[in-house]
Amino acid sequence: MLRTEEILSTIDMLHAEHLDVRSVTLALNLDDCAAPDIGHVCRKVRQKILGRASRLVETCDRVGAKYGIPVINKRLAISPAATLLAGHGCGAAVRLAQTLDAAAGECGVDFVGGFTALVQKGVGAGDDVVIRALPDVLAQTARVCASVNVASRKAGINMDAVHQMGHTLLDIAAATADRQGFGCAKLCIFANIPEDNPFMAGAYMGPGEPDATVNIGVSGPGVVGSSLRRRLATDVKLTLGDLAEEIKITSFRVTRVGELIGREVAAELGLAFGIVDLSLAPTPTVGDSVGEILKLLGIAQVGAPGSTAAVAMLNDAVKKGGLFASSSVGGLSGAFIPVSEDATLAEAVEHGHLVLEKLEAMTSVCSVGLDMIAVPGDTPPETLAALIADEMAIGVINDKTMAVRLIPVPGAKAGDVVDFGGLFGKTPVMAIRNAGASEAFVHFGGRIPAPLQSLGN
Amino acid sequence: MPETQHAYVLDVMAEDHPGIVASVSQAVESLGGNIDSCSQTVLGGYFTLIMIVSLPDRIAPDELAERVRTAEGASRPYQVLVYPWQPRLPAAVAEPSERFVITAFGADQPGIVRRFSQYLAGKDINIVDLYGHREGEEFVLIGQVEVPKRWDVGMMQADLEQLGQELGFAVKLQHENVFVATNQLRFTRTP
Repeated sequence: MLRTEEILSTIDMLHAEHLDVRSVTLALNLDDCAAPDIGHVCRKVRQKILGRASRLVETCDRVGAKYGIPVINKRLAISPAATLLAGHGCGAAVRLAQTLDAAAGECGVDFVGGFTALVQKGVGAGDDVVIRALPDVLAQTARVCASVNVASRKAGINMDAVHQMGHTLLDIAAATADRQGFGCAKLCIFANIPEDNPFMAGAYMGPGEPDATVNIGVSGPGVVGSSLRRRLATDVKLTLGDLAEEIKITSFRVTRVGELIGREVAAELGLAFGIVDLSLAPTPTVGDSVGEILKLLGIAQVGAPGSTAAVAMLNDAVKKGGLFASSSVGGLSGAFIPVSEDATLAEAVEHGHLVLEKLEAMTSVCSVGLDMIAVPGDTPPETLAALIADEMAIGVINDKTMAVRLIPVPGAKAGDVVDFGGLFGKTPVMAIRNAGASEAFVHFGGRIPAPLQSLGN
Repeated sequence: MPETQHAYVLDVMAEDHPGIVASVSQAVESLGGNIDSCSQTVLGGYFTLIMIVSLPDRIAPDELAERVRTAEGASRPYQVLVYPWQPRLPAAVAEPSERFVITAFGADQPGIVRRFSQYLAGKDINIVDLYGHREGEEFVLIGQVEVPKRWDVGMMQADLEQLGQELGFAVKLQHENVFVATNQLRFTRTP
């Protein structure tokens, strides 16, 4: 029998603190849709997506209602589009993307991830098509999200691909100049891309996964913020250890809810349950912010000294609570600090408290990287590439995932404010110091070798 | 459950104070009996205890009640009821069901418990645990209930929300697993 206090405390989490399941992502392997004729590929892709995912939204809503937990986002992730596009051209890539876009729309999901190329060691035929098609794909579709893995612990950093992505970002921004370069918000550039990430824009289905699986992204930072606020209001003389403990307990609870919902959705759809991703993904909604958690932890201005330590503590506590709660933890599983999607972070940038270099330091101790950063539209491609390279280096050396989402906003200067709308939020354009000073480094090209795996100091 | 056929259900009510369980169990033991299961609760300063006890010899229920009332150490009077225990009572809910939790929060007024419980009774939903508490003007009602699987949960949620609106109450019906998952280390039962 449940105790009254247990029921009341859960009710508090659900209704006062807005516990939710952030994302249910159905991952599908589309490799069996390959065919020499792109029309045939697209028909098979549509058939497979509708066959597997047409009941996803309705099932999530019904299961969510049964437990009183809203499932905020329902999404699709596919095996890398590069596999289907080997031997085809950019026109075929756009047709495939439009098919994915339409099928996702028919299923009622808002995004489909997996327009992906894995090029950490070199660019294959299909990868080349994916990367070259990105400007058209991201400009001409609404729901398709892309990712390119340019580095890994075992391969090092493919600097040719990093350089190419610098140019590609500018091309995507130009292709979506009417939307302030928004196409770039649907592209993640990765080191150590996880095979089972449910969060956009980087969700895709990697090798070694079943034919179809359901992955879950747990609730956002709002719940952790509320629990800290309550603890701080009721207890005096709290130490950082006590606050870490509070975060851990909250993470345990949200992870258990995520797994409960995910397993039931998977069972109802007759699919395998995959993983719970513990990531705290902020939204522009006030209160649903990692920046606000840092403030609660005593960092009055996010970006001030101490910010990196506070993020590290948060990230670690979230993982510890989540790992105890579930044996199926995967994906990115850390705190996200996407600037435009987090109102407190965007405000810190606006006031000059948070600069690019400090953000870079913070990304070295949390998931995932320089995320949703608007930069001036005239940033040289080599500088964009060098920014990406720095983040990839942090990922490769520290054996962690890094994902970069940079948006060079056409025509915008540092300090201008851009609004991408909805979940993507708004942010000032961040200044890049020493832009143009990394050209020779990037032009060397080649591959930065895989790092040492011992003597880890 | 009882090991002999001479088993009784004992219900004790008293003003709460230390020593009630001690004196009741003393009375049972003085008859050579064994306590097979028990549950107590205290509400508003009043204590209530239900016990199933088994005795080596048959005893008239009234006599057993009197032995408990006059037990050694009973410093204040108890209300005691005793029934012979029936081993094969039919299950309260015979059909397949799942356990849900109803919570209702709102301004207190007469009739809240009646309205909700009448709705549940009309659907053959058994209340297995009920908690109600008034604090100032606010009343909170929590019921753990067994909902027959034949009912559509979405429709019931709509009914209860409507009932809540009529009474000015925020009402939720949620599967118990979400409360288990967020509070307890045990596995949730697969529906």
